[in-house]
This record gives sequence, C-alpha cells and structure tokens, in this order.
Amino acid sequence: MAKVVTEHDYARGVEVLRNQIDAKIASYLSSCVGCGLCAEACLFYTETGDARYTPIYKVEPMRRLWHREQTVAGKLAKAFGFGSDLTEADFAEWQEMTYDSCTLCGRCSMVCPVGNDIAYMIRKQREAFSAAGYTPPGLQGASKRALEIGSPMGVTWKALSAQIGHAERATGLTIPVDVQGAEYMTLFSSMEIMNFPEYIEAVARIFDAAGVSWTVSSKAFEATNSGIQIGSSEIARELVSRVVDAAEGLGCKYVISPECGHAYTAIRWDGPNLIGRPYEFEVVHILELLDQLRLQGRLETEGFDERKLTFHDPCQIVRRGGVEEPPRNLLNMVAPNFEEMPDHGKMNWCCGGGGGLSANEEAHDLRTTVFKVKKRQLEATGVNTMITACANCRIVMEEALEHYEMPVVIEGVTELLAAHLKPKAGKTEKATTE
Amino acid sequence: MTHLPTEEKRQRYRRGLRWAMALLAFVLIVPLIPYGIVAAEGQLGSNTADIWRDARNKDQRDAFRTQIQGIETAVLINNRGEQWRTFREKQLVPYGGYLLLGTLGLITAFFLFRGRIKIEGGRSGKLVPRFSSNQRVMHWFAAGLFVLLGVTGLILLYGRYVLIPLLGPEGFAITASASKEVHNLFGPIFPFAIIALMLMFGRGNMFRLLDFKWFLKAGGLFGGHAADSGYYNGGQKSWFWMTVLFGIAISVSGLILDFPVFGQTRELMAGSHLVHGIIAVVFIAASFGHIYIGTLGMEGAVESMTSGYVDSNWAAEHHNLWYQEMEKAGMVDVEPNALEEVKRHDDIDFKGFGQPNPQTKEG
Amino acid sequence: MFLEFVEGPLWYASVVIFLVGIAIRFYEILARGVKPDLAVPRTDGTAGALRTIVSRSWTAKGFSSGAVFHLVAGYMFHIGLFVLLFFAAPHIVFIEERILGFGWTAAPHWVFIAAANLAFAGLILLWLRRVMHPVMRKISTFDDHAAAWLTFIVMFTGCMALLEGHDGLRALHMLSVCVLMIYFPFSRLMHAFTFVLSRGYTGAVMGRKGVQA
Ligand code: HEM
Ligand code: SF4
Ligand code: SF4
Repeated sequence: MAKVVTEHDYARGVEVLRNQIDAKIASYLSSCVGCGLCAEACLFYTETGDARYTPIYKVEPMRRLWHREQTVAGKLAKAFGFGSDLTEADFAEWQEMTYDSCTLCGRCSMVCPVGNDIAYMIRKQREAFSAAGYTPPGLQGASKRALEIGSPMGVTWKALSAQIGHAERATGLTIPVDVQGAEYMTLFSSMEIMNFPEYIEAVARIFDAAGVSWTVSSKAFEATNSGIQIGSSEIARELVSRVVDAAEGLGCKYVISPECGHAYTAIRWDGPNLIGRPYEFEVVHILELLDQLRLQGRLETEGFDERKLTFHDPCQIVRRGGVEEPPRNLLNMVAPNFEEMPDHGKMNWCCGGGGGLSANEEAHDLRTTVFKVKKRQLEATGVNTMITACANCRIVMEEALEHYEMPVVIEGVTELLAAHLKPKAGKTEKATTE
Repeated sequence: MTHLPTEEKRQRYRRGLRWAMALLAFVLIVPLIPYGIVAAEGQLGSNTADIWRDARNKDQRDAFRTQIQGIETAVLINNRGEQWRTFREKQLVPYGGYLLLGTLGLITAFFLFRGRIKIEGGRSGKLVPRFSSNQRVMHWFAAGLFVLLGVTGLILLYGRYVLIPLLGPEGFAITASASKEVHNLFGPIFPFAIIALMLMFGRGNMFRLLDFKWFLKAGGLFGGHAADSGYYNGGQKSWFWMTVLFGIAISVSGLILDFPVFGQTRELMAGSHLVHGIIAVVFIAASFGHIYIGTLGMEGAVESMTSGYVDSNWAAEHHNLWYQEMEKAGMVDVEPNALEEVKRHDDIDFKGFGQPNPQTKEG
Repeated sequence: MFLEFVEGPLWYASVVIFLVGIAIRFYEILARGVKPDLAVPRTDGTAGALRTIVSRSWTAKGFSSGAVFHLVAGYMFHIGLFVLLFFAAPHIVFIEERILGFGWTAAPHWVFIAAANLAFAGLILLWLRRVMHPVMRKISTFDDHAAAWLTFIVMFTGCMALLEGHDGLRALHMLSVCVLMIYFPFSRLMHAFTFVLSRGYTGAVMGRKGVQA
C-alpha cells in the first residue's frame, strides 16, 4: 500500500524532482522569459502583493535543478564550480510556496505569453516535496485517512449508508447500492456526504425522474483524491484504482464525478495515466450528465427561481476540465435572473481552497486573504446568491463569506435543479421556490 | 491587482489619456507654427529691393530662377549660414562651456562647504513608500535617454576641442559619426519620455504658497531648517517644470533638425539649432544640480528612486507635511510589498502634496 | 583586418555554434519525452496546440490591466526588433550576400527609424521594469540581464554604424552580433524558438480537455 512520507528526506526529493521534468517542463523552463505576467493572474500575488507568490517563482527549485543538471550552460557552470546544488533549506523554504500558496487553479497557465502550464509544474514539484516529506500536516493527515479509511475526512461506508437512509426517507425513493450492471456508478465527495447531503437527495430525485439506471458502490464511493493534492502519484494511483476496480467489477458503463473539482481532474483526466491504461468505462461529470438529460428531454423542470444569482466556476471543472457550457445551460432552465461575474468562465478566480488548501490549516489565513478577489467579483455583480458545482469551493467560500460578514448564500447546481424538478406523472410532489 | 478597476480609476485613466493626446497634438503642431510665419511673411514682402538683397534672398522672394528644384536653391548668397556658424563657435561653445564647468565648480564648492546633507535623526529603519515601480521606470527611462543624448550631443559640440587631442582626427571622426547617429536615432524617443514624466509626476507638482516660503529659506540648503514641504518641495517642483519646458523645447527643435524632409528652410534649421544648443547646455547644467542633490548631496534621497521606499526620518525631515499624511494613513513602517505601491497612489487619497495642514500651519 | 576576422572566421564560428547550440537545446528538451495521454480527449489536441501557438501572442480575456505596461513595452520591442532585423537595408544586403543569395525590398527610411525607436524604447523599458518591479526582481536571473544587455549592445552598435562610413564601427556591430549568437542557445533567448514547443504542449493538453487556452 502507498505510504504518506512524514520524515524529511530532501535527497530523495531531489531524485524524484529530477525525474519529474519531462519534455513539457523542459520546454516551459527554456521558454520562460521571466516577464512576471503570471503574477498578475495569481490571486495569491494580487491579493497579498508578495512577490514570492509569483507562480513561476514557486517552481524555482525545479528550475534550478533543471538548469544545473539538464542544460549545457548549467552543466558547464557546475563543472567549473559555479552555482550550488539544491539544499535542505530550499525544500524547507519552498514548502510554503509549493503547498500553502497555490491552489493548482491554473489561471497563471492561461496568461503566460510563452504558454507555460505553471500549474502543471507546481503539481509535479509536489511529487518531489511529498516524496521528501516536506508537506503540510493537514494534507498528510487527509492522505492517510484516504488510504486507511477510504476518505480524507474519515467518512466510512457506515456514515454514507446512514446519509443514504436519510435521503431515502426524505425522498421516498430507494437508492440503489452495489447493483451489478447498472449503467452509471455515482461517486460522492466526503464534503458532500458530511456537509451537503442534499446533493444525495437531489441526485436520487433527478435520476428517478429521468429514469437513469444507477448505483452507489459500497467499495468505492469517495471521488476526491488526496494523492493529487499532496502530489503523490503513488497514493493517487491507489485511490483511483479503488474506483476503477469497483466500477469495472459492477460492469458500469459510466462513472459519475460529483460536484467536486479536484475529484473530476483526478478521475477524468489523471486517472487513466495513473493506472497506465484506459478505463473500461467513461467518466462524466454530473453537470455534463444533467446537460445531456436536458438535451434528451429527460430533465424537465417547472417554475423559476426569481432570485438574482451568479455562478462560481470551479477551476478544475471549468478551466482545467472543459465543462463550461453545461452549468450555464442548466441554470438558464430555472434562473431567469442569472448574471455572470466579471472574469467568469475559464478565467474565473479560484475560491482559494483548491489544491488541498482546504485541508491545510497552515494556509487558513492566507486562504481568507485571497478570498478578497472573490469578494470584489461578488460586489461587482451585486447578487446575494451564488451557485456553484463544487462542495469544496462551497465550504471554503461559506467560511470566508462569514469572515467578511457578507450575506451571500451558496447552493449547488444539482440541488437547484432538483428543487424545480417537474414531478413524474402520478406523483404530487411540488417544486418549491424560496 | 487592478483587474477590476474602479470607476474612479477608469476616470483617472481616461483623464490621463486625454492629457497624453493633447500633449502629443501640441508637440506635433508647435513645429508648424514657424512655417506659418514664414509663409505669411513671404507674401508680404513685395517692395523693390536692391540686387544684393535679392542675392541674399532676405525677403524670401524668388528673385532668381533655377532649374534645380529644392528648398532655397534660388538663394545665391546665404549669410544666415555664416551668422549661425559665428554664433555657434564664438558664443554657444565658449559660454556653454563656462556654464557647464561653472556649475560643476559651484557644486564642488558647495559640497566642500556644506558637505553631505545627513539625515539628522539618523536612520530609523522604518520604510515609507514613495515612488511606484512605474514611476521609477519612467524616471530612469527619461534619465537614461537624457544622459545618452547629453553625452553624444556634447561630443558633437565639444568633440573638436576635447576629443581630437585625445583620439586624433581619425578616432574623432569615428566617434563623431557614431555619436551623430545615436543622437539622431534616440532623439525622437525623448519627447515620449517627457510626456511620460509629465503624466507620472505631474500630480502634486503645482506650485503653492508654501513653496515660496521654502524658496525664501533656500530649502534649508545653507543650514537652518527647511520650511514645510509636502510631497515635493519648491526645488523639486522647479526641476519638474524645467524638465517639462526644456523638454518640450528641446524636443520640438530637435525634431525639426532631425527630419529635414518637410521643407524646412535653412533659416528655420539655423534657428532651431540655436534653440536646441542653448537649451541643451542650460538643461544639462541644471541636471548637474538635480543629480548631485539626489545622490551624493543628500543622504537617503536616491533610495526613493531605486527601491521606491525612503527612511521615515528622511521623510519627516524633508517632506514633513507628506510624512504626517502617510503616518495618518498607516503607511509608515511598511514591509516592501508590490501592492502598497499601487495602493498608496490609487486607494489612499492623501493630500500630502503641500496643502498647509491646520496643525502645522503656524510651524 | 579586424573587420575581416569578424566577418570571416568569427562569423562562421558563431553561425555554427548558434545552429549546433539550438539543435542541442532542442535535443535536451525533446529527449526527456512526454508520456502519451490515456484519458479520452474531449476535442482534438493538435488543433488545440496550433490554436495556442498563435493565440498566446495576445492576451487572454479578463486579464490585462495589471500588466499593461509590460505588454505595451513587449510588443514595442518585438515588433521593432522584427522590422529592424529583417527589413533594414544593410541587413537585407547582408542576408543576400552572405546567407540566402537573394534579398527583398527594404522598409522605407521612416519605417526603419520608427522601428528602431520602438525597439530601443521597448527594450529599455522592459529592462528597467526588470530592475524596478518587485516581482521582476524576484524572478530575474543573471541571464535575463545579460540577454537584455547583449541585445541592447547589438542594436546600439548597429545604430552607431548607421552611416556606414567606418569599418571600425561595422566591425564592432558584427562582433557584438557574433557574441550574441554564441550566447543565444545557452540563454533564455531560446524562447524565440522554444515558445512553439511550450505553447504547443499546453495547447494540446488544454485542447484535449476542450478548453481554448
Ligand atoms: C519570435 C518569437 C518571439 C517571441 C514569441 C518572444 C516573446 C517574448 C516574450 C513574451 C517576452 C517577455 C515578455 C516581454 O518582455 O514582453 C520576451 C522578452 C524578450 N525577448 Fe523575445 N520573443 C521572440 C523573439 C525574440 C528575439 C528574436 C529576440 C532577440 C534576440 C528576443 C529578445 C528578447 C529579450 C532580450 C527579452 C527580454 C526583455 C526583458 O524583459 O528584459 N525575443 N520575448
Ligand atoms: S495555479 Fe493558480 S494559485 Fe497556483 S500559481 Fe497558478 S494562478 Fe496561482
Ligand atoms: S508568465 Fe510565463 S514567461 Fe512570464 S515569468 Fe511567468 S512563466 Fe515565465
């Protein structure tokens, strides 16, 4: 079983870092002109003014190692005794910049004039830091729990089945568990199970209305992947394998990624590369599925939510995931007063809690500080209801809204739709509008 | 940081843009004025005149005809050229030289007499943000161009006397050729640097009553205490306006000289040359003072233009009114931070530009 | 004599080092390889790569004001340099006689002057920003300064030699060009070539995800 490294061992980190540099990263480091534009895209810089938070500076250890060992100029300099190797102190110093001040949101990667995917580099640098044990305790704990218990927040199957029981009672529906041959296998994030169980009800009701054949697996229900956040491919691989084994075991055609950003990146984009083969099933995001159902006429709503509301694009779903249109199509079904925030869509600003920051207590204050950009976006839009599609964004933003005493409520897209679901013929349930 | 500009910022930006456009138009139109005058006079002169007048073409009349089409090709004898030559060699070169050397001498004497103006309270180690990085960039941009143009220009003016003995005629020929090309090529950038300076440093540089009090005390240069001053003191404001006025004059005359393809007459060229030469020498002499007081002459001054931050004791001693505003705004003893630079100019509407402050009015 | 050396042996040596150096750099990069992406793409990666190679030449929507200064100066410098490099009359003559065997029409004089002014102003502004802005100070290496100054020296000596009257000035310009060419492959100036790779890789990844990057 994969292990979480907690002992410092920077030599191991250097070794791993060396091997993380593929042709992409080598081209990025060769191309970087040191123009600093990436800083202007990063909320950690724009909200603090701290030049250390310039995205490309966060991978300075990687750049130094690359230059010294993998370029002619660096090798020459080394031969003549110039420059210095990476040291333990570098790892210690850069831990904060690698973990606490980057949410892997990828906004910087959209603006670099030479096209550097800096978020990718930071993600790869985390491989080295996690192998060397230079990781925040919060992420270590989350990863351990994910490996040992099956969920970063320590949510067990028992806890989920209790929530499923609640949902069944509330909806009067049966939630299928471990159904062999179901078309869709649904995943949840711990955050949803613990904080927003409404999501489970919403999914059950929509799937029932649309006639979707689905199931929950008792073996693998957790969608989030702490391995991706702490930056350990080994851990990530093990966590993804659990889902793959369960889905392929049940013979499902599709696996549904829930309202969670990093989960989508982990299972949709990174997963096959982690396990080294394509899946036997397809991964769809819940928003994509709902949008398909809408197109097929299987998702019918009635009534409107008249509130003025806006949509927060979760980075991993929209900018890094490509699911930009579906949430908008869905919102337009029920929300006539939907307004976009400035910089919405693929250039949206991160909630501040991605990339493992929500599990990292040391980053708590910084996370609150960088929320100021979201605050400005909200103020510019002038709405008091924000819809999103990521439970992690939601919990982080709810906390920050409370800190800044802003009267903004947050809801999930799926819940909002479920609230306006047209009852199936024969049933008398009524859509509620707040 | 400014990705969501406030309405106020946008307005300021638009205002800035309008200023820039107006200045650009100004710089482009001013050189046309002499043409207008010349054209108007040409039509007036219609009296008979003696043949020599015609030969010298004093009245700009085409008394003689020629096959050669071009400007002033019908002028037989041009004594403007001679006048210009005499002025350049007999007046501009020697008096310019006295002015430049004299200024250096005065500064040296002042240094020996007064020494470096120290921060009296010593350094507190607390930083006060003063110039944003954009301001500093534009300052050094203009300064760099100024030095480059100044050096190449002086080589062209004094090279014959100073460099030929050093480099020999062949060496000087190369230097002069290179200097001319550099001077002519970099010259046209200078007007833009001047405009940038005006936009970056204009705010707060209007003269106020308290500046004249400052002048009366000679800014504390000769001991005693400097009078009240805000963001800029009287001396700095004078230098700013000198830069603007000399800058415009030198740019306009320079452009006329640099692009002799718009039908400029020899007379206009000679006149522009005089203006260009005189102002250059005066401008350079004045700059010696600015450079001296900004570096060697005063402890703690140059940092404001390099790092952008000054020591709080320096601020309190030399710009007391501004310092008080900054203190109230909580901008004393800050950590160097990229955002503060933006903030102090955009978010905090401090009046430290020299409005007499009620509490310090008497002092 | 000196001019003959600079335009002869030194020039050929620099060309060789320049070309071989660039080849080595590309080998260094490409030899590290990229693992094939096993995730099912949403849209075509190649189209994404091509789009990003072009589209990163201007800024993303929703991003600019904080960086206007840099963007403007950057465009000034690169456009000016491009015109100078390929459309200044002496360069075309050089290219015709020494490299390609054919030439093309030079830019009119005023275009040349304007390009030179843009290039000089842009380069100076970019470098000043590099030494003045806290972010730029943090991320600049010796290489950034060396590259900017070498480029400046090349342009400056070129300007000094404009009159084309003195062999010494011409030799100075050629010498600095040779130094720049020898330095080029080992420095960040490589971005002039590797930008195709870096934009391409990112464009491909984002294209596969269905994001126009
Ligand atoms: C052909 C494609 C090229 C591209 C896409 C490109 C792109 C860039 C970009 C994006 C920057 C940084 C942003 C900025 O400073 O504006 C930059 C800076 C720079 N480029 Fe290029 N460039 C190219 C060609 C060249 C060439 C041919 C040279 C000359 C030798 C050159 C010399 C420089 C220098 C010296 C800087 C640094 C200026 C500074 O910030 O100090 N570039 N380039
Ligand atoms: S990925 Fe996001 S948080 Fe990380 S450096 Fe880039 S812009 Fe900043
Ligand atoms: S934006 Fe790109 S080129 Fe510029 S400093 Fe950042 S990584 Fe380097």
